[in-house]
Amino acid sequence: MNYVEPSSITELMNYVTTVEDYRCLAGGATLVAMMNVGLVEPELLISLHKLDELKGMRIDQNVIRIGAMTTHTAITDEDRLTGNASLVRSAAGQIAHSAVRNMGTIGGAISHADPSADFPAALTAANATIEVLGPSGRRVIQIDDFFVNYLETSLTEKEIVMAIMVPLSPADAIGHHLKFSRVDGDYATVSVSLALAMEGRICSYARIAVGSVAAVPLRLKEADDILIGSNLEESEIARASELLLKSSDPIDDVRGSSSYRKFLIPRLIRQAVLQSKKELSYT
Amino acid sequence: MMETISLTINNEVHTVLIETRQTLLSVLRDKLFLCGTKNGCNHGVCGACNVLVDGKAMRACLLLAITLQEREITTIEGLSENGELSLLQKAFASHQAFQCGFCTSGMLISATALLDHDSTPSISKIRHELGGNICRCTGYVQIIDAVKSVCEGKTDCT
Amino acid sequence: MHVKQDGSKYGVGISMPRRESYEKVSGSAVYTDDMVLPGMLYGAVLGSDYAHARIKSYDTKAAKALKGVKAVITAADFDMQRCGMLIKDEHPLARDKVRYIGEPVAAVAAIDMATANLAMQLIEIEYEELDAVFDAEEAMLENAPILHEERDSYDGIVASPGLHNVASYTRCQEGELDVWETCDVIVEGVYETPAQEHMYIEPCSTIADIDPMGKVTVWSSQQSVFIPRQLTAEALGIPMTKLRFITPQVGGAFGGKCGVTNQPVTVALALAANAPVKLTYTRSDDMIMNKSRHPSRIYMRTGADSSGKLIAREAKIYFNTGAYADEGPLIGSVATFFSRGPYKIKNMNVETWCVYTNRTKAGAFRGFGVPQATFAGESQIDELAEKLNMDPFDLRMKNMVATDDKWLGGQNIDHGTLPGCLKAVYEASNLRERPKQQKLDNNKWRGIGVSTSAHVSAVLSASAVVKLNEDGTITINTGAVDIGEGADTILSQMAAETLGLHPDDITYTCTDSDTSPYNYQTAGSRTTYVVGTSVTQASVQVRNQIYKHASEMLESAESDLEILPGSFVGVKGSPDARIPFSAVAGRALNQVGGPIVGMHSWLYHNTPFDKETAMIEGFALDGGGVFCFAAQVAVVDVDKDTGKVEVVEFWSAHDVGCAINPKSVEGQIFGGVVQGLGYALFEELVWIDGQISNPSMMDYKVPGMNDVPYDIHAIILETQEKTGPFGARGVGEIPLNGVAPAICNAIASATGARVRTIPATSERVLQEILKLE
Repeated sequence: MNYVEPSSITELMNYVTTVEDYRCLAGGATLVAMMNVGLVEPELLISLHKLDELKGMRIDQNVIRIGAMTTHTAITDEDRLTGNASLVRSAAGQIAHSAVRNMGTIGGAISHADPSADFPAALTAANATIEVLGPSGRRVIQIDDFFVNYLETSLTEKEIVMAIMVPLSPADAIGHHLKFSRVDGDYATVSVSLALAMEGRICSYARIAVGSVAAVPLRLKEADDILIGSNLEESEIARASELLLKSSDPIDDVRGSSSYRKFLIPRLIRQAVLQSKKELSYT
Repeated sequence: MMETISLTINNEVHTVLIETRQTLLSVLRDKLFLCGTKNGCNHGVCGACNVLVDGKAMRACLLLAITLQEREITTIEGLSENGELSLLQKAFASHQAFQCGFCTSGMLISATALLDHDSTPSISKIRHELGGNICRCTGYVQIIDAVKSVCEGKTDCT
Repeated sequence: MHVKQDGSKYGVGISMPRRESYEKVSGSAVYTDDMVLPGMLYGAVLGSDYAHARIKSYDTKAAKALKGVKAVITAADFDMQRCGMLIKDEHPLARDKVRYIGEPVAAVAAIDMATANLAMQLIEIEYEELDAVFDAEEAMLENAPILHEERDSYDGIVASPGLHNVASYTRCQEGELDVWETCDVIVEGVYETPAQEHMYIEPCSTIADIDPMGKVTVWSSQQSVFIPRQLTAEALGIPMTKLRFITPQVGGAFGGKCGVTNQPVTVALALAANAPVKLTYTRSDDMIMNKSRHPSRIYMRTGADSSGKLIAREAKIYFNTGAYADEGPLIGSVATFFSRGPYKIKNMNVETWCVYTNRTKAGAFRGFGVPQATFAGESQIDELAEKLNMDPFDLRMKNMVATDDKWLGGQNIDHGTLPGCLKAVYEASNLRERPKQQKLDNNKWRGIGVSTSAHVSAVLSASAVVKLNEDGTITINTGAVDIGEGADTILSQMAAETLGLHPDDITYTCTDSDTSPYNYQTAGSRTTYVVGTSVTQASVQVRNQIYKHASEMLESAESDLEILPGSFVGVKGSPDARIPFSAVAGRALNQVGGPIVGMHSWLYHNTPFDKETAMIEGFALDGGGVFCFAAQVAVVDVDKDTGKVEVVEFWSAHDVGCAINPKSVEGQIFGGVVQGLGYALFEELVWIDGQISNPSMMDYKVPGMNDVPYDIHAIILETQEKTGPFGARGVGEIPLNGVAPAICNAIASATGARVRTIPATSERVLQEILKLE
């Protein structure tokens, strides 16, 4: 295996376009674990850690741009992730454990597209967009179009995630990532991510995504629409949950059976919505 | 492919011939014979291989050595100076915060990183920050006590 | 206890830091995988792809031809015999048949791991697949595929020929069979416990080195140097003079490194390659190829009269031992022996089957059959209490055994310390005042549960040699392997107490089968009691010889002498009349009597079963040991929305006779409780079509720091054990035994839902809650 550390985008694209069997190395938390058991052995490994454009966070027109190489720890510690974007911070702090959060990156995490990981659902609820770069240039993918199937994204061959853009607005929204797992730091059995805002007693904004219950994060506009404009009463939450439940297709595995996951979906949605509603009524 | 790289480990520069795919854990153990860092699972879950990279705890089994040439690495061997144990190491000894000792290196690395950031963590913060280091022997109580005693300046409990 | 000149205390009863503290906290402690020998090769083991198949042929030519490969062995190349702890039923590399997925079929030694792994991919084995069976009760059916066609001829087999796929059958009956009509209340249920993985953090590792005369030295992570040497010698058909076993530091074991693990294969590779070989299992190989705790299914019923007096219990216990018996027959016997729990129940009828199936074998694990039986029994005590409308604590107090009561099988209980343990947890947890059920925020409910448990310490034989060195220090040599629990430290403390020496003046030799006196294994809560007795008695012999010399040197009667701190012996009341141990040693070596050496060797004698009162069949043990008791209380919060259980506080009271090192005793209690908590709530190997679906630490979860309470209260009681060294008895296993039922009883108290299958995952708890709604 050959190894390179491009320090410019041009150099990066040069490798990507000329080598057939390559993998990009971000934090390594997933890729190196796969290499250790011989699941992956690319001809060329391209480390992204010298590309400045992939680093750091900046705010531009009410959207925070998170470089793909930003670690989970940096996101957890970022005070500027407010309003709607606070959801991303909430999720980052719940990924695995601190030593893994110090290594793992948001770009690596979403490129792997594991539906039981925390960022896919959180970024879906946060209405993020993904900036990607390929041989034919840059483009932006709406998060709802990014995850295609289990471990599969809409990145075309040779495209790389550059940054994740998360709107801070609604500024009065709060974000929660409610993760239910067997033990601390495990993958979620089911997770519920939501961003919610209220004007008085009326829900003015809602966006919910459920993780670990389908091949991709589960989000339905119809479910959000039930909540928006409502008082977030039990019956309304139940109707929204019912829709999501119907669209879910969870698997059986050691983290829980499909039927258990289905039991959890409405229960966790209810907990998450009521918790957010309670917090909003205090602010 | 083999490549010669330089790694700064415990303030010492090591020039070492490695395979590009070799993890830091493998280089530490198999090339440099710094065997205090342990291999418990080789996929980032147990924490026995934790080392500090630029002061932050990370899993040596998930780091490729070749990516670390400009970083400062600290292993368990670097926590003591000239054979003199750190306060945390002394506290682990006096509180019997280990039994078999196999998780101890990683646990001490995580605890060192924690106290470097926060010299008076609450018990819940200690549990949160050390939660990714699995110990199968102690039930964790004496580990928490040892870390707490350093914060309270009472490392000797005998 | 002794006091040094600087005021520091040492000896028995002091929480001295571990002998190996410096090495372990500095990262310099040496474990097997840390060692490298010149010219050392790296080994790897190929596992079977089939749960049950006949091996038709091997093709290892391509693997052998690969550059860097120094040996490839299979049962066709290397003649190995069947070996096993109790039943000789297992070849180190499968011969003729494979009986579980992952069973070692071939092994490779190569110049590096990458080459070894590549060579394994080149080995071709042709199999003829056979029907497989994975459930213990299904395996006993007439039409189930037979795992061991030659079972009846196996050395050590005790099950009678008619029992299909049964490795061992044990029965104990006392009192009458037909007493159920006299019971006012009867509870009946099926209880299931999981295959718990030991998950010692150090995977199994062995290095075998071969000298020019063909003698093999073996360093391994193991629980004894003697048992693995014996089994390796048997398996490979070589004399013990050609095998030397040494144990470096061991990174946890808990029973999983009892018997043999990968030592025979490593030795075979070294012999085949004529070079040193290291074989360290990957985590998943370790989980797939090495044993787990026996999963069990227990059918139990218990009856009582209306006053709460227990009258009868009946149990049928099925242990799934997997493809090989390992210590299963003994574990089945122990489960039978503990199935009554620490209660007086006059009429007992218990049967245990240990059954072969096509899964990874099960074997020794902390608790050794007692956790399974205790889970069923202690759950039923609470279920009975509910039916009787009695407090479960009172029901226990009413029926518990005390001093001079008889255990199941008739052995007398010399120290009935359970009442003290129960009272201790009752008071410490403020049980009287605590609500049985409490509603918290959201849909969380708090409950409290109690359990009792028992264990025995002391089995089989041990010995120790204590030598006075030329400078007045001493050397202790035992066959006891410290697997992390602290044996080296506490055995040193016992010698220190006897001889007045500071532990710094005691050296402790590494266990070595060529030089250490025999000890069975670090298992069965036996080291403190059995090896401790040997160390103490050997130290007393040294002390007596010192007195004899000193008496002549100081011209005083032996009875007027005393040991003084700092390695001196002197005349009582005359501070100036004293001589250093070194002077005594010098005299013994050069003038009178010869070197001072103490040697003690013994075999613990079990009290045999009372054949008058008990009908006993098929027991792999001929009686119990020294009884230990414990009482435990758990407080849990249950989220009724999700079924998630959080243990918020835990009390665990143990009568250890004498805490040689109190902090080490606490460590055993904390560690046992947390392993028991994992067993109760999270841990379970899951097989799908004969394949373990979670052979990694990512998928099989043991509790981390955030999953367990910090508020675990270890309560140590010390009712002196008359026969124990300094009054001590063992504590290694018992802290785990009652944790699962205490937690499940607390779940029932919080929610009304009774979970009879552990681990009580949130899913299982929610299922039981939903049944009530």
